[in-house]
Amino acid sequence: MNGEGGGPPLLRVEDLRVEFPTEDGIVHAVDGITYQVHRGRTLGIVGESGSGKSVAALTTLGLTRGQGASIGGRILFEGRDLVTLADRELRAIRGNEIAIVFQDPLSSLHPFYRVGAQLIEAIRAHRDVSSAQARERAVELLGLVGIPDPRRRADEFPHEFSGGMRQRAMIAMALVNDPKLLLADEPTTALDVTVQAQILALLERLQRELGMAIVIITHDLGVAAEMADDVAVMYAGRIVETAPADLLFSRPEHPYTWGLLNSIPTLAGPREERLVPIPGAPPSLIRRPSGCHFHPRCPYAQPDHARIDPRLQAVPGTPNHHVACLLEPRMRQRLWEQLSSGRSPDEALAAAGVSEVRG
Amino acid sequence: MIRYIIRRLLWGVVLLIAVTAIVFLLFRVLPTADPAKLRAGRLQNPKIIAEIRADLGLNKSLLSQFWIYLKGVFFHFNLGYSYYSSASVRGLIFERLPATVSLVLGGAVLWITGGMAVGILSALRPRSRGDRASMGGALLLVSAPEYWLGLIVLYLFASDIGQVRIFPGAGSYTPLTSDPVKWFTSLLLPWFVVAAANAAIYARLMRSSLIETMGQDYIRTARAKGLPERQVVLRHGVRAAINPIMTILALDIGVLLGSAVLVETVFNIPGIGRLNYDAITHSDFPIVQGTVLVAALFIIVANILVDIAYAYLDPRVRYS
Amino acid sequence: MRWIRTIVPALLALAAGAAALVLGACGSSSTSADAGLNTPQGVLTPANEPQGGGHKGGTLTVLNHQDFEHIDPGTSYFSNDYEAMYATQRPLYSYTPNDVSTPSPDIAESSPQISSDGKNVTIHIRHGVHFSPPVNREVTSADVAYALERAANPNVANPYYLGYLSAVEGIPTASGGPVAGIKTPNKYTIELHLTEPKAQLVAASLVLPYSAPVPVEYAKRFDASKPSEYGNYQVATGPYMFKNNSEGKVLGIGYQPGKSAVLVRNPNWKASTDFRPAYLDQINIQIGGDTNVIGRQVLEGSHMVQNDPPAQSIVKLAYEKYRSQLEISPNAGDHYVAINNSKGPFTNVNLRKAYWAALDREAMNKARGGSLVTVPMTHFIWPEIPGFQAAGGYAGPKYDYNEHPQGNMAVAEKYVKLAGYPSGKYTGGKTLTVVGATGNPEAEDAQIANQALNKLGFKTKLTLVDKSVMYSKYCGVVSEAIDVCPNVGWVADFGDGQAVLNVPFNGKLIVTNGSNSNWGLVNHQKINEAMTAAEKVQGKEARAKAWADIDRELVAEAVAAPYDWDKQPQIRSQDVAGVGDLWNVGSWDYNYTSLK
Repeated sequence: MNGEGGGPPLLRVEDLRVEFPTEDGIVHAVDGITYQVHRGRTLGIVGESGSGKSVAALTTLGLTRGQGASIGGRILFEGRDLVTLADRELRAIRGNEIAIVFQDPLSSLHPFYRVGAQLIEAIRAHRDVSSAQARERAVELLGLVGIPDPRRRADEFPHEFSGGMRQRAMIAMALVNDPKLLLADEPTTALDVTVQAQILALLERLQRELGMAIVIITHDLGVAAEMADDVAVMYAGRIVETAPADLLFSRPEHPYTWGLLNSIPTLAGPREERLVPIPGAPPSLIRRPSGCHFHPRCPYAQPDHARIDPRLQAVPGTPNHHVACLLEPRMRQRLWEQLSSGRSPDEALAAAGVSEVRG
Repeated sequence: MIRYIIRRLLWGVVLLIAVTAIVFLLFRVLPTADPAKLRAGRLQNPKIIAEIRADLGLNKSLLSQFWIYLKGVFFHFNLGYSYYSSASVRGLIFERLPATVSLVLGGAVLWITGGMAVGILSALRPRSRGDRASMGGALLLVSAPEYWLGLIVLYLFASDIGQVRIFPGAGSYTPLTSDPVKWFTSLLLPWFVVAAANAAIYARLMRSSLIETMGQDYIRTARAKGLPERQVVLRHGVRAAINPIMTILALDIGVLLGSAVLVETVFNIPGIGRLNYDAITHSDFPIVQGTVLVAALFIIVANILVDIAYAYLDPRVRYS
Repeated sequence: MRWIRTIVPALLALAAGAAALVLGACGSSSTSADAGLNTPQGVLTPANEPQGGGHKGGTLTVLNHQDFEHIDPGTSYFSNDYEAMYATQRPLYSYTPNDVSTPSPDIAESSPQISSDGKNVTIHIRHGVHFSPPVNREVTSADVAYALERAANPNVANPYYLGYLSAVEGIPTASGGPVAGIKTPNKYTIELHLTEPKAQLVAASLVLPYSAPVPVEYAKRFDASKPSEYGNYQVATGPYMFKNNSEGKVLGIGYQPGKSAVLVRNPNWKASTDFRPAYLDQINIQIGGDTNVIGRQVLEGSHMVQNDPPAQSIVKLAYEKYRSQLEISPNAGDHYVAINNSKGPFTNVNLRKAYWAALDREAMNKARGGSLVTVPMTHFIWPEIPGFQAAGGYAGPKYDYNEHPQGNMAVAEKYVKLAGYPSGKYTGGKTLTVVGATGNPEAEDAQIANQALNKLGFKTKLTLVDKSVMYSKYCGVVSEAIDVCPNVGWVADFGDGQAVLNVPFNGKLIVTNGSNSNWGLVNHQKINEAMTAAEKVQGKEARAKAWADIDRELVAEAVAAPYDWDKQPQIRSQDVAGVGDLWNVGSWDYNYTSLK
């Protein structure tokens, strides 16, 4: 539905549903999401923790199988449906054509094996090469991601690396087999800000050099703004808005997206300007709110929003911008104009001429 | 690393001296038979008792007695003399050591392989029927007293008194050097008994350790790399799960080497545990002192090995 | 004079689940001539078992739970040691299996000649008896003399020599060197010169292992080490020897302490010089293990015996299922409750009689296994020992306090009143200290004995300790002044009243520093003097009468509360023609046992 890269998408997720049975009930982790990624482009998936964004990525690689999860929908990778693919064939894709980088490199790397050995293992899982050749490749990758003295450092253990170095190593490990698609699940969350910037720059450089597609999953809008070509916003297991990055950040349509944007502190704003966090907490994925799942937290919700479940629809005038909201499009535009000039949600409501009705 | 090892060794020596002192004191303080009288027999001739006391050095101060003993142990490896057996303590202990080592190490191999296998399988299928059955069985075996279990297997399977006459019975132990085949078959039932309770413990340990390990992030990474599941479980899961177990294992073996007395008695294996027990019933305290010392030595060495091994097994420890 | 230390670890008893088992199948009439012995039908005793029945040759396997205490003939003093001792060493005199009163000449060629004044003993030894390899040469009187002399050597530390040889000139001050009173006028004659007329006693004691010859030139260097190493290098004169190497070393070859021992034929033993048949070729002794397992292995196996006390449950099993493989032997000693005659309430003879009357002897014996292995004790010399009949036989001297083996409180109370407590119960303030032993059945017997005290009105403090501790630190230690010791017992060194009564009841032998075997600290002048006189009596019948009179006196004084004349069970495999030694609690004699 989005992205302009020529040709068919590399990855196309269609109406993916993932449910986990638990003692308290069924967790609807992913509730019918659809997105796609093209070669050489970056998709950013943004949402709070508990929105289901990580589960979707893990499911792509089949890493949610075997936990009693029931998976519906399709995940088409180069025309093959990964949801129904046999384990052995899916394993051949994992770490090979599709690779993933996780959030915390200290816990994600095995503490007892040397870093080089872990890379070599990733190589030899998919390539029939000698250990000497694998080692050369590992050292090459470590150098590629910017680790100095890679030959020596390959013999060190993960705990001997700094945080940033570790994440570089993880990225190197993901890239050893030239993947076509890289999934990055919160790759910078565990790092401090300066290192964050370096890692993002690294990912961009690698994408340019290697031409791979990237799906970057994050709760941090700043990261999405920096890296993504297209952005999908997830809430309660669903995509509530999706658009090219520049469009999303200049003219967001969903109240949740507004809330995310407004809760970012900026250096440029006045000091008295209060941050406006989104009130309330993410909903339980077992017993979700009726109707529009966001309505309990939405400052602009109307009474019947508790009954009707909105579907993703194109924003009039921009066919590659979709939103799932029951508010009238013009109402939304007016509200955004108010909010983006610094008004609070209540003020914006009043100014937009809607009597405040809480559902 | 070298400094670490040396520090551990020195500390071990200090511990050994402390243990020696405590055992030494215990035997002087508690109401046990006077060694001079033991040697002198029942009809007491005071003159002879006095002579023996002088010979044994029992008239000297406690401290000088202890110093003499300590010197003997550390400089000459002289652990004293058993008047009851008319033999040197060191000779008796060294002569009995192979039997105990055979018993304990063989049992350890059995319980490690058995316990690990059951534990790993149970961990991979938690709460399945197989898991519940094996953990329930483990609980039973842990609860069964070793001595009772030994008697039961003898009454069931011993070739001389059992219902189904398969395995050699009590008293059939022969040293490895004289008859390897008989050594092996005579130890099968004892190994089973030693292994039974321990295998159960280690199965449970392995199960919980592996369940915890398999929930770690690096397991997810291993799968994400596309590794076959078996490799994920063994090279990533078990490798990490095994660490706490290895340390416990070394300690268990160290302790068992000094105290396998119940199994040794039931099966009449002439090992250190039995030597110690016989010496206690005869109030033959030079032997008890010697065996306690040797047992303490095993435990201290096991501790040191554990410390060193842990540094090897877990690289994160090396630099702290 | 020694006492059995039956080591029954609480651990094993617990694990085997052996509480007191009632073996009480005292059914049918006994087969022995002595009805009082109560031996049930079908059970063999040393008196009625066949004295042969197997063939020559073969290897006997012996499973023993306990190890030897000492295998040096100069030190050995434990029933468990004796079977190996008497198969390998030939003392001057020894007993045939079923005789405990008349010793046979062994190394000696004839009975000892005792001078009329009782101060000289002359013994001629056989010609042509040789030591085993590596010594090989003929035994001479000098070797016998050395054997007796080395008993005084503190490195050998013989426990009983002073009790028997103190009358020999020079012995009391000897320490291993030549003794003035031991002379060897020629190669085959030995003379003992005494300072007092105690020749009979001295001669009787020569059945003990310390009279077995020891080669002087070979043993001297071993006897110089502290303690002597001779036991580990011993040579033999008997039909068998501990296996050794060419240097004579036994330790590690023929004897592994705590593990095993091997007796092989002595190549230098000549049957023509000996009365022993010596059928077996080899005896393999295995030491250790659980008594229940050992018992089953013996009963179900082949060519095996157990030569120390079997577990109670095994005796029961043998009695029920393998009766022909069970042997019960009298003359296994006694058990009684020692009460303090020297200090405390029991210095009053009436209280002592009261306690004798109150004690339920049958309950005490039931805890030990019932009539299969016990006989109610009514005086102090037991069956098979000369003087038993004269002292009252099975029924014992007729006193009302002796008439009721189940205990009789009415009689007891009568004596309490006589002691000066009109209510019939003790009302004095003293709390009695009672020290017993742990393990079964000692602990149960201690409880029963304690209850009898309570029933008489005594307040008691009962403590149970390990048996060796009980003997060495409490009972018989003058300074501790323990009032009651319920778990003591005695076994005789040889078949004479003195060996039964002297040490336990002679007040003159009490030492204030150290432990005594006179656990009741019995010290009555009249009895002491009678014993001193009886020591010197000559002639078997005269001695039997003299000591029987002392026994009656002990009963009249109620010096202790008796309960058990012990019988010892022994078990064997069904294809062993076992011959038990009446003089050693029925233990299987390797010199006479054969395989079928």
